[in-house]
Amino acid sequence: MTSEFVIETTGLSKRFGAIAAVDRVDLAIPAGVVSGFVGPNGAGKTTTMRMLLGLIRPSAGGGTVLGEALSAPERYLPRLGAMIEGPAFYAPLTGRANLATLAQLGRIPNPRVDEVLAVVNLTDRADDPVSEYSHGMRQRLGIAAALLPDPALLVLDEPTNGLDPAGIAGMRSVLRSVAGRGATVFVSSHLLAEVEQICHHVVIIEAGRLGFQGSIDALVAAQSPELLARAERAEDLPRLAARLGEMNRPARVDGEWLYVAAPENFAAELNRLAAEIGITLVHLSSRRASLEEAFFARTGAGRSLAGPEAT
Amino acid sequence: MTAVEMILAAVRSEWTKLRRPTLLWGTYGALAVIAALLTVLIFAQAGHNFGRGLNLMTAVLASPAGLLYAFGESAGLLGVVALCVAAAQLANEYSSGTLRNLLVRQPRRTVVLAGKYLGILIFLAGAVLVACVFGIVAAFVMAHVRGIPTAAWTSSVGLHDLGQGLGDVALSMLGYGTIGFVLGIIMRSPVSSIVVGLAFLLPFETILSVVVNGSARWLPGSLLDAVARGGTTNASFFAALVTAGAYLVGWAGLGVYLFVHRDVTS
Repeated sequence: MTSEFVIETTGLSKRFGAIAAVDRVDLAIPAGVVSGFVGPNGAGKTTTMRMLLGLIRPSAGGGTVLGEALSAPERYLPRLGAMIEGPAFYAPLTGRANLATLAQLGRIPNPRVDEVLAVVNLTDRADDPVSEYSHGMRQRLGIAAALLPDPALLVLDEPTNGLDPAGIAGMRSVLRSVAGRGATVFVSSHLLAEVEQICHHVVIIEAGRLGFQGSIDALVAAQSPELLARAERAEDLPRLAARLGEMNRPARVDGEWLYVAAPENFAAELNRLAAEIGITLVHLSSRRASLEEAFFARTGAGRSLAGPEAT
Repeated sequence: MTAVEMILAAVRSEWTKLRRPTLLWGTYGALAVIAALLTVLIFAQAGHNFGRGLNLMTAVLASPAGLLYAFGESAGLLGVVALCVAAAQLANEYSSGTLRNLLVRQPRRTVVLAGKYLGILIFLAGAVLVACVFGIVAAFVMAHVRGIPTAAWTSSVGLHDLGQGLGDVALSMLGYGTIGFVLGIIMRSPVSSIVVGLAFLLPFETILSVVVNGSARWLPGSLLDAVARGGTTNASFFAALVTAGAYLVGWAGLGVYLFVHRDVTS
């Protein structure tokens, strides 16, 4: 592989009739990162992933995955693991038999089935029918299936959907372990806090178009920094906010807290200003924007990632 | 890895699913019961005139071909089961979303399709064999009960007829299986594909063959029935085999085209 990117697309597009589900997306996912793929429901995340997996053909554009042309998925899929749109299994078969069907098809040695079952903590239930599995167990079995080929690239669509906190923590641990041995993980999620915890890199897609791609640090750093202040008496804060507004420093009060759009070096001036108008600050700190705030600032979307339709 | 090795791997993968007890023994058991039951009924009514044309002579059953006579009569019902099993197996991959897992592990779609097709054909061939065995056992039991001579059955001509009859029914079953298999690809829903298949083969063909004179010579269900019986008054075995084969090749070609070229969105 000559490129530094494991996934690289140019003008990748998919139309369903008059609707452009994915519109000229140029992805560049660096090797060895955990990259989060975020966007509202219906933004085109799953459609993009399906194109990367050769399940649907692009209407236009192309690219490479693991250095091989997108049009020849048989060249790169043996080194790729995936779970798309939730886990899908044969309910009457056991977890082990389900993985065996995939291992046989991909000519993956059978002992690997036991290895991946152990990775996702399903060894004890491996011989039970999948129909008796909980949603979380099916999700873990889906991850086990994705890990079967010992992938260099793992593509996961909403892997934490429906998981309880322990399940989410377990999933996080698996993804870190996969990334720890040098594989690249491309994971879609609507849980921005989750993405922020496990990803170094993020791709934002909205209405089929690429909104941003790069490191989470770069995305967050591009947002205006904020100062947080708490006064001895909370009822004083609106007065301080009004005074800041007169100085072209936007500020808002949220409960006991005052948020001021200003860099860290404005803190001393804020403290002096508060003292001048007779307000005693008991807390003053700077705060980095969260991924969620950066996402909403960039996309201009509402606070919910839920959209009108799923793709 | 050669194409043959990949296809064999796909067949093994398919068999892991097909051999599950509820499907394997459920299907084989149902076909065995159908074959045995029809044999019992045909032997029971032989020599009696119940009206409605059911006046089979016992001499026919005592002939070398008599052993599998009833089995040949059950081919239509066996075919319906074959169609349903094949359609459900394929369509279920779409409706349950498992097809996307398969195509990620084996992106060569023709390999996946060939493996599934061969796996289902082997499954159906086994089903024919099991049904045949139960039909034979039922025939011997009923011949004893009705006092029908069986010496001709075990003669060299009888054994030849047995092999030929078994082969004819197996060919017919594979035809029904192919129809169901492609319907599963087209409809992508087990219920829809089975309903469409049965609606065409049962009421539609029956009505058409009554309304349009001579249509039994070109209707697929009638042709497969003629293949199973080694030829009928409507179509000789060879004509039925060639015409049904031509239909199935075209039908299978459509299935391959759709499976390979259609986006997998489920």
